[in-house]
Amino acid sequence: MKKLLVGLALMVGSALAQTQLKVGVILPLSGPSAVAGKAALNGIQLAADEANAGGKVRLELVVVDDGTDPSKAVPAFTKLMTVDRVDIVIGGLASGVTFALSGPVKQYRPLFLAIGAASSVVEQAFEGYPLFFHYHPWDYHNVAAALQFFQYLNREHGAKKVAILYEDGPFGSAGIKVYQEQLKKLGYEVQAEPYKTGSGQFTPILTRFRAFRPDILYWIGYDVDALPIAAQTRQVGLRPKLIYGAPPSWPVGFEKNPLSQDVVGMTAWLPTLTNLESRRFVEAYRKKYGEVTEEYMAPMGYVIVKSLALAVERAGSADKNRIAEALASLTMDTPFGPLSFKPSDTGKTRYQGFGPEIWLQIQYIQGTRRPVFPKEKASVPLRYPGEYYLR
Amino acid sequence: MELFAQTLLNGVLMAGVYALVATGLALSLGVVGIVNFAHGEFLMLGAYLSYLLFAFRGVDPLLSLGLAFLAAFLVGALTYHGLIRPVLKAPELNQMLLTFGLSVFLQNLALLLFGADTRVVAPPYQAATLALGPFFLGAVPLGAFLLSLALLLLLQLFLTRSRLGLAVRAVAQNRLAPGLLGIEAEAVYLLAFGLSAALAGVAGVMLSVMLYASPTVGFLFTLKSFAIVALAGLGNLKGVIPAALVLALAEALVSTYVPGGGGLVEAVFFLVLFLALVGRVWRAA
Amino acid sequence: MRGVFAFLLLFALLPFLPLGVWRAFLLDVGLFVLLFTALALSWDLVARTGQLSLAHGAFFGLGAYGTGLLLPHVGTLPALALGALLAGLGALLLGSVTLRLHGLYFAIASLAFSEVLRTLALKLPFTGGPIGLPVPPPFGGSWPLASYYLAFAVLLLAVGLSLWAEKSPFRLAQAACRQSEAVARVLGVRVVRVKLLSLFLGSLVAGLSGGVYAMKALFLSPYEAFSLARAVEALVIPIFGGLYTTLGPLLGGVVLVGLEQALRLWIQEGYLVVYGALLVLAILFLPKGLLGLLGGRRG
Repeated sequence: MKKLLVGLALMVGSALAQTQLKVGVILPLSGPSAVAGKAALNGIQLAADEANAGGKVRLELVVVDDGTDPSKAVPAFTKLMTVDRVDIVIGGLASGVTFALSGPVKQYRPLFLAIGAASSVVEQAFEGYPLFFHYHPWDYHNVAAALQFFQYLNREHGAKKVAILYEDGPFGSAGIKVYQEQLKKLGYEVQAEPYKTGSGQFTPILTRFRAFRPDILYWIGYDVDALPIAAQTRQVGLRPKLIYGAPPSWPVGFEKNPLSQDVVGMTAWLPTLTNLESRRFVEAYRKKYGEVTEEYMAPMGYVIVKSLALAVERAGSADKNRIAEALASLTMDTPFGPLSFKPSDTGKTRYQGFGPEIWLQIQYIQGTRRPVFPKEKASVPLRYPGEYYLR
Repeated sequence: MELFAQTLLNGVLMAGVYALVATGLALSLGVVGIVNFAHGEFLMLGAYLSYLLFAFRGVDPLLSLGLAFLAAFLVGALTYHGLIRPVLKAPELNQMLLTFGLSVFLQNLALLLFGADTRVVAPPYQAATLALGPFFLGAVPLGAFLLSLALLLLLQLFLTRSRLGLAVRAVAQNRLAPGLLGIEAEAVYLLAFGLSAALAGVAGVMLSVMLYASPTVGFLFTLKSFAIVALAGLGNLKGVIPAALVLALAEALVSTYVPGGGGLVEAVFFLVLFLALVGRVWRAA
Repeated sequence: MRGVFAFLLLFALLPFLPLGVWRAFLLDVGLFVLLFTALALSWDLVARTGQLSLAHGAFFGLGAYGTGLLLPHVGTLPALALGALLAGLGALLLGSVTLRLHGLYFAIASLAFSEVLRTLALKLPFTGGPIGLPVPPPFGGSWPLASYYLAFAVLLLAVGLSLWAEKSPFRLAQAACRQSEAVARVLGVRVVRVKLLSLFLGSLVAGLSGGVYAMKALFLSPYEAFSLARAVEALVIPIFGGLYTTLGPLLGGVVLVGLEQALRLWIQEGYLVVYGALLVLAILFLPKGLLGLLGGRRG
């Protein structure tokens, strides 16, 4: 009887303590970033379901599509703020769109949780805005992580020459000068060439690189370029010791293609990671959606809502300022590792979540992706030179 | 010198596929007289067909080529009958809007059905390379080139030797005289449009191996085909191959020799086109 | 005419209507409707001479970048004017070289022109390159409805130009060029001059439209500013609404741009499939555009 009364009291107590919250979500569900956007949305919805099932908070999501286009994003955001009247917005995947939203955000002043937007142009735009939480690493973090890997290749494998292929849009061109400077500082000889993403025509540039005989072929572009580069490298007789790519995502089924063997890439997350939070996430995702996702935006979205739910619970209120305070002092374990908010390296972002530490280098080996660097996270040693050199 | 020759070689190989797709467009433009913005979507159809057959039935793309030809022809013929025929007499701008709407519809339908991910067909010979002395030739691009050439040759034979083919050419040369040809005019239009779609479909299969299948893969080729057809001269089927060569070679040379050329390729393509069109004006004036 | 005035009145008064919670959202959509309809009218102006322009995306982009680059140095209105002039310069350049080309050839030449400009915007150092160019808001952000009324002013200008071309003798000159150049010449029409003037005036409006867009989006990238999609939208709207008129593009603009936004909100995924299907059906069943439905006449 006592147990029943205590149980009842707890239930009533928790029902009374439940905080209701309407959260706006603005993501690219159409347009070039749609794949990442949908993955993010899946992660967000999964975490929202879990939070709601826990009973302490009740999150209601209002989802709008920004179309990866500022002229669509601004009206959609305005609708969230004025029609749906949300105080908290999760969004900001594509950098250009997020930049365009910085004005309206500062005008309507929601608590803004940014899931992507790596470009430092965005950092400048949001400088000084107090309710801005940037979860994703900035582009200079990405560059730092890649440079760590390059340093390792130079010191332990004697790599001296690197040929860089970069797509001439904002994604590929953002860090290129920094890369060239820093690589030279590390002792590399560098040649860099721009290309048009999706054109599939790399033979001229790769033929030119052949004379340079690089140790590493590094390409910065999109998933559509991965296979043509891998195929045409062989077709022109270019034999680097390592093919290293940095697209935001890899093409579906790339690992099954024999051309992917020994290609290295940088990613924030793999569904095969062994940390507890990651495994829990993969299981829960599989239960809800019936598949395993490779897109790191899915766990990123998941982390944002999970941290938000926790902050709301701690704050015990739906007031955005109290939630922001709770979020600022929060630490939690995530599929990417531990999360907490500190000022960014440049000082322009007050609440920066993840940094270069979440990046890991993976290699395609026999149809699976294995982490190979940094050594603490590696499951197998790096295969250098890759088989494209040895053949 | 070796680099130069290799560059030329790369350009020539690419020109084959360009010529194939552009010839398709030239047929629909020159014979039926319709500006088909959805031409690239027939290419996309072929690419996805090749992908689906490969991924779910393990059918080699070489076999899919024939199937794509037939399937695209069928779809083209149906499109002609249902959508194009009603607007043949309408103003050109209306026709353009129709085909544009069709293009948007098909692209987004593909997006809805298959998602935005690019799909690749990866037969075992995908990266095979032939070495001819100091030169390297990708086996697949070479195959695509030879196949394109063969198809275009067959088309040429058809147009010059068969009765239906001659009818097609007659209509292309003077569209105002279909009445004189009697019933055949309708058959000619249907055939030409179907053929134009079929050629694009076959090119799509090749691209699914060389590039990828995606909802937007057709669009870029639509643009390039328009450029090539404009360069060759409207209604000039024979001029398509040289025009395709000029443009493909310009692309290859700029990519190789101009510093940072990789990013300038498209602009060069259009600059050459622009200059050629302007040159035509001044010569005629 | 009455239809035109009704539209203008509606847009002028939009910020004062009792729209409740939807006000801010509708104003945003309305702003884009104003801009893209103005662009569509500027395209129609050129189409009346029989020239199919795919360069309106380029004029839009020139205006956008011109305004964006100059805004921090001169005021809002001078920057807009200079941006429009830059677009006009582009039109004169394009026109003087290509206006002797016909039909599809001109269209492709104008497309080529647009692509070359986009690559320039991508590669030139002072344009912010692929990463993009941030643009300050109009009048330093002091008046929140500024961009809305600037857009309205641009549409007003576009409508004024279009009405002038329709009601004045210029209309005959344009129609003559469109229907048969040889006949036009015999009638004493200076064909090339008429075409060039139409292109120039159209490009000024397109440039202004781009300039206001830049100040609203607060950010420009070569892919959006010089986008082919925009050039195509500029021609889809007049064809859908009713070619060679003023009311047609107005109707078409409101319906299509508004429809696209509405579809995106209510259908979400796959809304473009519906959009494409609607376009196809519209052509099959409404060959004269929306105006044909209303019993209007095509100029």
